Amino acid sequence: MAQGQHHIIPIRTLAVVFGVLLFLTLVTAVTARVDLGALNVPLALIIAGSKAILVALVFMALKYDNKVNLLVLVLGVVFAVVFLALTLADTEFRGDIGITEPGTTELSVEPVESE
Amino acid sequence: MSEASHNYLSAKKGLWSWLATTDHKRIGIMYAIACGTFFLLGGILATFVRTELGTPGETILDQDGYNQIFTLHGVVMVFLVIIPAIPGILGNFVLPIQIGAKDVAFPRLNLASWYLFMAGALMAVFGWLFVGNVDTGWTFYTPYSSGASNAVLWLTSAVFVAGFASIFTGLNFIVTVHKMRAPGMTWNRLPLFVWAIYATGIVQVLATPVIGITMVLLFLEKLMQIGIFDPALGGDPVLFQHFFWFYSHPAVYIMILPAMGIISDLMGTFSRQQVSGYTFIALSSVAIAFLGFLVWGHHMFVSGQSALSSIIFSMLTFLIGIPTGIKVFNWVATMYKGSVWLRTPMIYALMFLFLFTIGGLTGIMVGVLAVDVHLHDTYFVVAHFHYVMMGGALIGLIGGLHYWWPKMTGRMYNETAGIIAAVLIFIGFNLTFFTQFFLGSRGMPRRYHDYTELLENFPEFAALNMASTIGSYILGIGLLMILVYALYSLFKGPKAPANPWGACTLEWTHTGPLPDEHNFHETPLVTRGPYDFHLADDVFGPKEEN
Amino acid sequence: MSSAGTTLKHYFVNHEQQFDAAKLGMWLFLVTEILLFSGMFVAYAVYRSWHPEVFAQASELLDWRLGALNTVVLLASSFTVALSIHFVQKGENDKVVVLLLMTLLCAAIFMVVKYFEYSGKFSHGVFPGAGFEPHGIVDGKDYSKYDIPFAPQFFSIYFVMTGIHGVHVLVGMGLFGWLITRVARGHFSPQWYTPVELTGLYWHLVDIIWIFLFPLLYLI
Ligand code: HEM
Ligand SMILES: [Cu+2]
Repeated sequence: MAQGQHHIIPIRTLAVVFGVLLFLTLVTAVTARVDLGALNVPLALIIAGSKAILVALVFMALKYDNKVNLLVLVLGVVFAVVFLALTLADTEFRGDIGITEPGTTELSVEPVESE
Repeated sequence: MSEASHNYLSAKKGLWSWLATTDHKRIGIMYAIACGTFFLLGGILATFVRTELGTPGETILDQDGYNQIFTLHGVVMVFLVIIPAIPGILGNFVLPIQIGAKDVAFPRLNLASWYLFMAGALMAVFGWLFVGNVDTGWTFYTPYSSGASNAVLWLTSAVFVAGFASIFTGLNFIVTVHKMRAPGMTWNRLPLFVWAIYATGIVQVLATPVIGITMVLLFLEKLMQIGIFDPALGGDPVLFQHFFWFYSHPAVYIMILPAMGIISDLMGTFSRQQVSGYTFIALSSVAIAFLGFLVWGHHMFVSGQSALSSIIFSMLTFLIGIPTGIKVFNWVATMYKGSVWLRTPMIYALMFLFLFTIGGLTGIMVGVLAVDVHLHDTYFVVAHFHYVMMGGALIGLIGGLHYWWPKMTGRMYNETAGIIAAVLIFIGFNLTFFTQFFLGSRGMPRRYHDYTELLENFPEFAALNMASTIGSYILGIGLLMILVYALYSLFKGPKAPANPWGACTLEWTHTGPLPDEHNFHETPLVTRGPYDFHLADDVFGPKEEN
Repeated sequence: MSSAGTTLKHYFVNHEQQFDAAKLGMWLFLVTEILLFSGMFVAYAVYRSWHPEVFAQASELLDWRLGALNTVVLLASSFTVALSIHFVQKGENDKVVVLLLMTLLCAAIFMVVKYFEYSGKFSHGVFPGAGFEPHGIVDGKDYSKYDIPFAPQFFSIYFVMTGIHGVHVLVGMGLFGWLITRVARGHFSPQWYTPVELTGLYWHLVDIIWIFLFPLLYLI
């Protein structure tokens, strides 16, 4: 019996999701052609994120599955984001004190030569 | 077939029955042999390092030789010993039995992970022997590594491959704990060793892929100059450090969490009472696993990363002290009013408590941003991490090996020899590494083969270094002693009873002196917790007197 | 203890446990894949935010129409895989074979498109790393104008990300080939189709990664 009782996702649902995914691809391709300024990147990421969530929930059947599997996926994503966020906390603020390049700060004394 | 001849060792014979085995217990033994060999290699390299530093000036190694030797010492000890050893040896041998399973969830993957591990190890050794020199330190920082010889290609590949061995081990244990527990083995009846290995598995699965991709990128950097990490090509070496430490800080919890698990089990068994704060110890393992991902930047305080991120990382580092402290206090409380039985494993547990606490507290010290700016890259850091890695992880492993030795080999070792070795190790270890706290806080830098010029201002460095070197020899003698009496016990030791320590967990109560090929005659039905000694008197007789 | 093509391994209690374990294992493996790729995404994010103009300019050299085509191809293959699981659950194995063949075909189209993209870049000196020396004119774009600082970083990241993704596609193709022969030999039934389901999960993840790569590399 085992797998015989598993949820079978109707073809209709799968087809609708496929359609939405194609539509979102179209949207992202079109919106990228027009310049939305600062919105360009967030919009593209939101669309990509929505597509990914659709695939995960329906095609990968997480919606109907044991919640442990969902938890595993969420953990993976969370730590990927932690990696990104804390790295950016450095790279976005690099040199926030002790900038030593000439011209970036007014020094009353000569900068100390390092090395 | 008689009872005695029917066990996991006698079930099949011949070399092939080992090399092709999918029995988790045999794979554990194969890890023991492999890690033991690498530990010997790493140890020999360590004595070279200490001998060079024992006296000022060039003693036995020139600058380049010294750099290569400490690099190899670090790579071997970290990637081939401390990271794989406890999950590989004891996790494999003990965990499935402790939860009442017949095997891990994926036995063939388990064997594959041993082969991957060996392949990684051989690649590292091959690169070192035949391709060229590596003097980057175990951290492979760019631009050292992008400028070093082609052996870097071999070592990075080795780390990549061995990394996947670690991932597969962790993945296997997580699934095993989730899906393979015996009837009645609820989550709050899991032995604390199982909880620790489970938490370790989480770290292995989440962190190790990042060292994988780091090594791939470094490999490509060296092979075709892709310019991500190499400053000469517009790359950013500090970014490399982020990548490296995103794995390697969590990796220190891959090393220590399993040892903490062993200590929890030992504290319960040898105090003969319920481990105090069971739930807190269990959950603090998981908390450490997650918090461990938020602090990697404390290795980069002087790397040139932004001050903002240094401050964040420093503050987050302090948080780690909380779950760690919870464990330490609960271990102490477990002994309180227990009947503490001082056998070799318990002596190692006490040693762990002492040494790890020093290591952890000095960790908090170097986690303080303002302090670490001075202590970074000095012997203080070297002392800190040897207290946690050797005094913590390795001592935990040795304690665990003594504890489970009768179950693995069916023989007892000589208790007196065990205690003498433990004392030697304790003295040698502290002499070696406590002196390094003094050296480091006075400014002795790490990774130099000579300190003659410092002696003018710091004449005490000569004596301190000499003491440290002598300590390392004593430590070495203690460790070799273990090897000797272990081998003796293997062939000549008295036969072990099924439960020599009067422990309460399934591997002692539900198997013979040596477990069956499939662990149990029949699947155990679990009706009590792992340390419910008061409920277990019907299972085994009163503890024998010592 | 055999039921329709599978045996229960002796260390499991029942098929449900065996299946659940396999599936959890697969999800954990997928998470390692996510973290593997996360490193490349971090490298991308850092360099992009340091040199936004360079990235915007360099990405002009990638043909977004080919990227979009490949996106559609991969989405279609994900759809066929999901359908194949639907039918294997119903026991209609001839449909499963057809759907998996279509999946394999999509994957092959994806790789062929990538082949043309790569060779187009290589023939104009756009290599990852030291070989980077863009030259020639394509579609009115003068490649030599793109020889600017940090453009090599963009293309290194592009090649590494799509390269490793491509390796995953190739692995997937191998898996589907193997699955097709097994379905054809009647190895699977509504009672047991674990390998189909797990390969499907893997393939969807490969698709998800591409869903992010496409806008990041080709569009913005
Ligand atoms: C209480 C927990 C701990 C804290 C707060 C802590 C903190 C730190 C900090 C801040 C450093 C960087 C020092 C520097 O380079 O300037 C460091 C280095 C190190 N720690 Fe810890 N640590 C802790 C526990 C551990 C444990 C349990 C291990 C391993 C089992 C470990 C292994 C290491 C290693 C290997 C290094 C040096 C890496 C290198 O530069 O080669 N630490 N620790
Ligand atoms: Cu750390």
